[in-house]
Amino acid sequence: MTKINTVKDLKALRKRLLKERKKIRATLVLCGGTGCQASRCQDVTDAVKNELAKQGLKRSVCVRTTGCHGFCEQGPLMVIEPGNIFYCHILPDDAHEIVTKTILDGEVVERLLYTDPVSGKLIQTESEIPFYRAQDRYLLAQNRQVDPCSIEDYIAIGGYSAFTKALFEIPPESVVREIKDSGLRGRGGGGFPTGRKWAECQKAPGDEKYVICNADEGDPGAYMDRCLLEGNPHLVLEGMMIGAWAIGAQQGYVYVRNEYPLAVKHARMAVDQARKIGLLSDKILGSSFSFDIDIARGGGSFVCGESTALMASLEGKVGEPRPKDVHTVVDGLWHKPTTLNNVETWANVPSIILNGSSWFASKGSKGSKGTKILALTGHIKNTGLVEVAMDTTINTVVFDIGGGGSNGNSIKAVQTGGPSGGCLPADKFDLPVDFDVLAKAGSMVGSGGMVVMDQETCMVDVAKYFLTFLQDESCGKCVPCRMGIDRMLEIITDITEGNGTSWQIGLLEELGSTVSQTALCGLGKTAANPVLSTLRYFRDEYEAHIHAKKCPAGVCQALVTYKVDAEKCTCCGICKRGCPHGAIVGKKKQVHAINLDLCQKCGICKSECDFEAIQVK
Amino acid sequence: MTPKVTVNIDGANIKTARGSSVLDAALEHGTCIPHLCRVPYIESIGACRLCIVEHVVNGWSKVTTSCTLLVQEGMVILSNTEKIRKLRRNVAELLVSQAPNSRAIQDIAVRCGVKEVRYPFRNSECVLCGRCVQLCPGTFGVKAIGFVGRGKDRRVESPFDIRSELCNECGSCTDLCPMTVVPCDGPMKTGEEYLCRNCESKMAFAEEQGICISCDFGEGFQCERSPQNF
Amino acid sequence: MPPPTLDSILEERRSQPHQLIEVLQDVQEHYGYIAEESMRTISNELGVPLMEVYKVASFYKAFALKPRGKNVITICTGTACHVRGAKLILNQAVGQLGVKPSEVSDDGLFTIEHVNCLGACALGPVVTDNGNYHNHMSPGKLRKLIKSIYKTDAEEISHD
Repeated sequence: MTKINTVKDLKALRKRLLKERKKIRATLVLCGGTGCQASRCQDVTDAVKNELAKQGLKRSVCVRTTGCHGFCEQGPLMVIEPGNIFYCHILPDDAHEIVTKTILDGEVVERLLYTDPVSGKLIQTESEIPFYRAQDRYLLAQNRQVDPCSIEDYIAIGGYSAFTKALFEIPPESVVREIKDSGLRGRGGGGFPTGRKWAECQKAPGDEKYVICNADEGDPGAYMDRCLLEGNPHLVLEGMMIGAWAIGAQQGYVYVRNEYPLAVKHARMAVDQARKIGLLSDKILGSSFSFDIDIARGGGSFVCGESTALMASLEGKVGEPRPKDVHTVVDGLWHKPTTLNNVETWANVPSIILNGSSWFASKGSKGSKGTKILALTGHIKNTGLVEVAMDTTINTVVFDIGGGGSNGNSIKAVQTGGPSGGCLPADKFDLPVDFDVLAKAGSMVGSGGMVVMDQETCMVDVAKYFLTFLQDESCGKCVPCRMGIDRMLEIITDITEGNGTSWQIGLLEELGSTVSQTALCGLGKTAANPVLSTLRYFRDEYEAHIHAKKCPAGVCQALVTYKVDAEKCTCCGICKRGCPHGAIVGKKKQVHAINLDLCQKCGICKSECDFEAIQVK
Repeated sequence: MTPKVTVNIDGANIKTARGSSVLDAALEHGTCIPHLCRVPYIESIGACRLCIVEHVVNGWSKVTTSCTLLVQEGMVILSNTEKIRKLRRNVAELLVSQAPNSRAIQDIAVRCGVKEVRYPFRNSECVLCGRCVQLCPGTFGVKAIGFVGRGKDRRVESPFDIRSELCNECGSCTDLCPMTVVPCDGPMKTGEEYLCRNCESKMAFAEEQGICISCDFGEGFQCERSPQNF
Repeated sequence: MPPPTLDSILEERRSQPHQLIEVLQDVQEHYGYIAEESMRTISNELGVPLMEVYKVASFYKAFALKPRGKNVITICTGTACHVRGAKLILNQAVGQLGVKPSEVSDDGLFTIEHVNCLGACALGPVVTDNGNYHNHMSPGKLRKLIKSIYKTDAEEISHD
């Protein structure tokens, strides 16, 4: 890798790279995100590479393994350029056909195309697929264009030009004003105006300042930060470099969750490359600005997503939040002014600098500008990462992009914002994905997790799930969070076990509001949201548990019994083999029965039975 | 001399030293804000959340702990509003349900207006107020005890649960403990003790007076409204 | 390649207290757990009080203070996996192996762990065995997976 010394060098390198690319006949873009890796995409990549070598196409056809494309449900995925032909569910054995037919003969392999579940038609290109069509992909679209392990790829598509523009043409004050004008708000959960944060940090006294990228995505059900850092780490680094220039920081940190080994690897590689090429160094490209970035691995703690806890963790201490009477922009990491932003926030910065604040502000709603990446998961047909403008309604996301409920079930609710967010019922789906609107409705955009739930989900159980999660993840420092969550969980457990009384609902509400007003940090302050929002919209389910001692969705173990439907049972014996408690009796060719004394109501038999012969009442 | 600032707590203008916390200023003046985790002269950790007050800025009030809030000129603080009393009562109820047998916690609960406890009682050995951990002088400033684990597993322990060689057996931890058990194998208390009703920081030494030695010598934080304060 | 010694992990990090978590991460990665003895060494070499090392090691979930089984089965219990039945998977693993989460099975072969999100939410329920991802798990698929691990282990032993 040759070192770049001036902006001119960078431009020359970009020109050379683009020229080299023109020589390539076709590019096979393979998704190598974690989702597709779980679907064995590595085998496909190897098979394709072997096939190309066999046919002597190694030089003229380029194979690019990229970060996540978003449509994880259909993995492994491949897009063939030129033509943007989209193949899904590829197996290693398909490599031969893809290479001979599509690359050499220019024909499309029909059986690998995506079938529109509504019309039943085959769809050839990515942009025509309903899942992609209804989105406004700006950040995610770049994932497809770069190999995350190659800085050349990023430079070729115009990477680091926003940083050089800021460094040589825009003074720090104007950078901050640009970000302020764009209306960008923090994507990590709170939605705090990024420009205001930067301005305060810029003004804070002191020569030593820090920028931090929060990639400790502890939110269960959200993985957009992982996808960005894995798929396009240089974009995040460039955002941080612009931020550092604006506030006057000399050192940056990326705090990555250790559960994301690929993200750690790619981020480290990206920093190494940027150092080698001369974009992270002393006096970058001959300017007076010096900056470096280090990668720190998180220790696995949800509360470290809170800024003060994250900074404590970076200092090598226990990740306990501290009171924020003085903000971290003044008194942050090692008591120095610190700007901390989420991965997605940083990733938005380069395009704002490059295209201007008005371009960014033209997307989205009045209070929430730009696009947001959502992780669409749960009981829905098309799961994956979705990027939409921040005035898109939940309806559009769930039905147009997500394709509606899986198995044809009707959708009951959607949980947004992770453990700090809330559940919204189907009649609120006309609300846009907007920070203020969702907060008013008792939920939040949060980091962008969107878990869709159908009739088979018990909302009391969901509230219980989140409380269990929070009890596990609370640092335990302050009384309302430690004891309050514990007591709320105790009450909800009572309710799900049929021991609830009606006055406990009032107690839950009172306790919930006490915890949210008195807890020390953001985790505690929002901990009651899952309970309060389900109480607000699904009170009837709580009442059914308390008065009728019934779980309408058939989830809460203490309130249901399992039975074999003798008419549907085909005596196959799968349930008997599957039951870990030996509670199923019955000989071959004889209708099986459940021994209720031994039955632990784990539900494994029901999930194993192919004939819906196990009933839950 | 330390420069003074004037803050307004519950309508009274109080002159106090710059750099002190709102809680200290209030206690000095005789406004009794209930508190548990605070240890005098040591930077507060804001864990018990009993000393919450409303901090009014531009007509907006924000609930915050007074022990971590430093005084500033012209600050307006409300420590005894309906909202604060209710929140404080709920927090105290959580505490007393966890440790119903501790006289110190009972005292605090009564002062916060807890009349009934709506949760099943648990007899915890420790409410994790952290007073012992904050005060522990250890050896050369290295503490012998600390918080270990997280969430519901959080506890006060020495490394590997073996009494640390850093412990110099000063007894400060037992002295400040509102409970009946201390983390080391120090002298066990009977459970009849309660904290000094003036400073709520140390164990009272005589049942009749109900105050600790420091307060008896006039070194503690007098919390009762006395005429000279007005 | 032999696992790096504690010495080599500490190399270039000595007397840098803020490197504590990084050092513990590496020890965890190469040894599978953090022993009392390593904690004492780390405390001395980094200049961090033992209390602080113990606090940090017991606070973060990534660190195990006891040895783990030869095979670690990690079950994701994130929201997306939860609504798709991660509980069943956990029940199956606990029932089949007869150990509670984060304990070691009697034969020392298995440890079950549950994490709050593996970040492959679209493919839930997700399980990893020693870092290999398995998507769309069902109790039946997990049963087969565990059996196959038993089999490979038995083969390895017979080869030895």
